[in-house]
Amino acid sequence: MSTQQMHIDPYERNWMIFSGILLVLFAVAVSVAAFGMGIQVPAPEQRVDPRTVATDPSSPWSNPGLREVSPGKYDAYVLAHAVPNWEFLPKELSVPVGSSVSFYVTSSDVQHGFKIQDTNVNFMVIPGQVSKLTVTFDKPGTYNYICTEYCGSGHGVMYGSITVTP
Amino acid sequence: MAKKDKGDEDFRPTGTIAVLAIFVITLIAIWATIYMILVGRGGTL
Repeated sequence: MSTQQMHIDPYERNWMIFSGILLVLFAVAVSVAAFGMGIQVPAPEQRVDPRTVATDPSSPWSNPGLREVSPGKYDAYVLAHAVPNWEFLPKELSVPVGSSVSFYVTSSDVQHGFKIQDTNVNFMVIPGQVSKLTVTFDKPGTYNYICTEYCGSGHGVMYGSITVTP
Repeated sequence: MAKKDKGDEDFRPTGTIAVLAIFVITLIAIWATIYMILVGRGGTL
């Protein structure tokens, strides 16, 4: 049995090498952002019962809003719902500049999305599941949060805002 | 197997190289721009 040497055109070989280098560079850049800079996608934080999450007195989402856990650190419990009207509860939040806020968001009915504009907070809100991400607000201003998953006829009016005060 | 034209080895696909170079530079520029925007927004841990 004779061995055959594969012929690869130089242009084709260079293109494959360059494509491989690009893929490695992109993978390294994404890894640095994810593990070196802490830009993460959310993992399910906990499970809840969507039928009682908004009404059970022991559930933080029965009284959604901000809790200051330590100076400059807050937990924000946000409830998304389409019934009776499409909205996030609370609709408005206010924190001082430099605050680190952990958002715990869940839905009591259908699937929603939660994106805070001008930040990297962007995740799905799934009934029965709590999504969590933390962000530090270094610049004062108003940051809107919007629903990014089509959830019915009122999807377009489902938004709120965070005011970061100087 | 068809007889190979002697000129094939010397052929330089200048137009194809130019188009691919534009494609790759555009791809890298757009990717890097979005990457820097996301990195500039900070972590989410």
